[in-house]
Amino acid sequence: MSELIPIILDVSSYILILVLVALGLMIVFGMMGVINMAHGELFMIGAYVTVAAQGAGLPLMAGVLLAPVVVGFLGLLIEAALVRHIYLRPLDTILATWGLSIALKQLVVLTFGPESHSVTLPIDGSLEIGAFSYPLYRLLLMATSILLIGGTFWLFTRTDFGLMARAVIARPDTAASLGIDTRRMYRWSFVIGTALAGLAGALVAPIISVDPQMGLGYLVPGFLSILVGGAGPLAGVLVGGAVVGGVNNLLAIWISPVAALITVYIIAILIIRLKPEGIMGGRRAK
Amino acid sequence: MRNNLIALLVFAILAAAPILIGGYWTGQLTAYLVYGLLAMSLSLVWGYGGILCFGQAMFFGIGGYIMAVLTKGMIAPELTSSYLGLIAAMAGSALFALALGYFLFAGRGISGAYLAIITLAMALVLERLMNNWYALGGYNGLLNVPPIKLTFFGASYELWDRTATFYAGRAVVALVYFLVTWLLSSAYGLKLTASRTHPDRLASLGYNVLTIRLSVFALSAAIAGLAGAIFVTLDGFASPTLIGFTLSTDALIWVAFGVKEMLLAAFLGAILTRTAESWLSEIFGEYWILILGIAFMISVVLLPKGLLATPLEKLTGGKGR
Amino acid sequence: MLEIENLSAGYGEALVLRDFSCRIDSGKVSALMGRNGMGKTTLMKTIMGLIRAKSGRIMVDGVAIEKLTTHQISRIGMGYVPQGREIFADFTVAENLRLSLLGHEGGNVLTLEQIYDWFPILKERAEQRAGTFSGGQQQILAIARALIGGPKMLLLDEPTEGIQPSIVHEIGVQLSHIARETGLSILIVEQNVDMVRTLADEVLFMENGVIKECCDIEALRQDDSLLHRYLSV
Repeated sequence: MSELIPIILDVSSYILILVLVALGLMIVFGMMGVINMAHGELFMIGAYVTVAAQGAGLPLMAGVLLAPVVVGFLGLLIEAALVRHIYLRPLDTILATWGLSIALKQLVVLTFGPESHSVTLPIDGSLEIGAFSYPLYRLLLMATSILLIGGTFWLFTRTDFGLMARAVIARPDTAASLGIDTRRMYRWSFVIGTALAGLAGALVAPIISVDPQMGLGYLVPGFLSILVGGAGPLAGVLVGGAVVGGVNNLLAIWISPVAALITVYIIAILIIRLKPEGIMGGRRAK
Repeated sequence: MRNNLIALLVFAILAAAPILIGGYWTGQLTAYLVYGLLAMSLSLVWGYGGILCFGQAMFFGIGGYIMAVLTKGMIAPELTSSYLGLIAAMAGSALFALALGYFLFAGRGISGAYLAIITLAMALVLERLMNNWYALGGYNGLLNVPPIKLTFFGASYELWDRTATFYAGRAVVALVYFLVTWLLSSAYGLKLTASRTHPDRLASLGYNVLTIRLSVFALSAAIAGLAGAIFVTLDGFASPTLIGFTLSTDALIWVAFGVKEMLLAAFLGAILTRTAESWLSEIFGEYWILILGIAFMISVVLLPKGLLATPLEKLTGGKGR
Repeated sequence: MLEIENLSAGYGEALVLRDFSCRIDSGKVSALMGRNGMGKTTLMKTIMGLIRAKSGRIMVDGVAIEKLTTHQISRIGMGYVPQGREIFADFTVAENLRLSLLGHEGGNVLTLEQIYDWFPILKERAEQRAGTFSGGQQQILAIARALIGGPKMLLLDEPTEGIQPSIVHEIGVQLSHIARETGLSILIVEQNVDMVRTLADEVLFMENGVIKECCDIEALRQDDSLLHRYLSV
């Protein structure tokens, strides 16, 4: 039993990070029908903000706070320069953001080098209860993630911004004819989505190795989580993330990382194929 | 008709290339021809079939591994014929595509963005699988794949020489090009266009849309498999990079640079991008990939029909098909 | 107040409106009548900027609006009740109304009390999900949602479609009352003759994308040959 708890906690923290990444993807996908293939790179840049902050001698918390601002601002630029022009051509957004992901990845290689970096844990201690011990930072990470996920749900279901956003998702023309500036809603949703990715990257940076290729390893599972859970209700992301992240991590521990990856992708593809609207229902892709 | 003339001209210019560019570049150009073949296969399935496949290198890699396994005599020493290898590579890729396609398209089916994500995930799975399949060389791949051995009536000739290999490759590519162009101009091409633009209407006319989709997916896979099979004989090795995700997305870039609805443009897109890459990557070094990514973005946003399509359409007069 | 000059608009290459011109005075209720497929809904959508005009002008109080976006057109005082009502089924009544208030923030909006005073049923069911409403109740909500933004002119596209006659009459009477009380201009596209007779001050007949005839409601009450000609009633 006491060996099982750290495993459950490890798996949960992975799932929570995956949900954060997928949540950002889904806001952009659900809102604008845009598939952002550069989302993984924005997550990666968030992690690199903490690397840069560490290099400049700043505390990690400064990096974590800076990451969503930097990446969100980057998202604002991307929306204005790229996505705005093609959001009515959904397949082209896949290609264009793919080009963006190549460019961003190489930009990071040019700035920080191709090698991997590590970020030191800001909190060293462990929580010890009897024989049980678990790193404090991971607990903090989980708590922060839960707060962020809850905060995003709150934003989209309980606030005026959320009301307008849900209206734009359901009936963009009608929302516009009631005076809602749909373009502005698209822009800020995109910024929120990218800022979430940046924040997730910064939070996870101290417990993984940070390298320019890390984005893809979160992008694909993130997408699969959305498709498995269903792109309609926000709760779909939680279920999808739990299925994809949970199966992946548990199999990686019990069998091998390769078998885990292959199995989880195949399970995800099966679910998507057999239940295209996702476990929790919702809309299909346009 | 004019389209075919342009294509003839392109292949004629290619025929003169070895005289002009010397041995090293002839060898490189042969590889680019094979990439061009891969680009054509993607153009067929994406531009004409309307199936955005983010993992086209899966079929390239499967063809390459089948060719390597057979001609190295890993199955049986008697089964090392290059012809058999090429046919098995095409058949193997096509069968894999049929199985995958049936799973993806049958019934309610999957299309658009979902298809892109799923084919991308499939390519990642296969790459990971090959990296860890130690009987097939694992991460290092299979080395010492023999060159293609042509036999006619007892006489045989091994394609060691760069120039000879180049001409053989050019002949295959030209043959595939004209065969596919002929096929697309037949009634099949019409059905294919209808299955892309008005699948419901086509179905109500009594055609089976699934059969048409599967056929174009398998045909495209066979061409990609052929390309992969030729490719492994050029450098003599098959590795997991052939099957994976990077080559798949490279192919997408070539095709999008050319234009997806035009076989010749896709083919030239591959050759020109690869050529530019080998020159410009020396000049720009690490910045080259950055430039490529940005150029790709700009081309998708500003020139949705592709960088090469506009001039080529002018030359061929009109629609370019 | 609304002037349209030489407007051409349509879907893709196909033009539905060609050189359409008309003029709607303020403070009046004008009904636009015509058979199906004559371009009435296209006209409404083009005024709201949901379909881009190919050429021509649309002026509201002397301001050209044909290049503005839909939300800007809404904010200068054009309220729109689309065909099929298009209420947000997952939202409560209060949320549907709140959305319109948010869209017109800082503008000349009405109060919830005012709306509830006109349509008491909305107050009773403020927290109910709009998707559970009957067609007539949804129509009342859609009209209230447009009104709360404080429009100068209300565009109503087939408000009686699929609604039981008793509620049709109720809506007509209430709208007529609101128009007289507030001086609101209304442009209504309608096939239902009773609704037009209850509500309208003047009637415009449309055929093949142009206005063929215009008459006031008194003339129509005495002689309904126009109705026969343009609607084949």
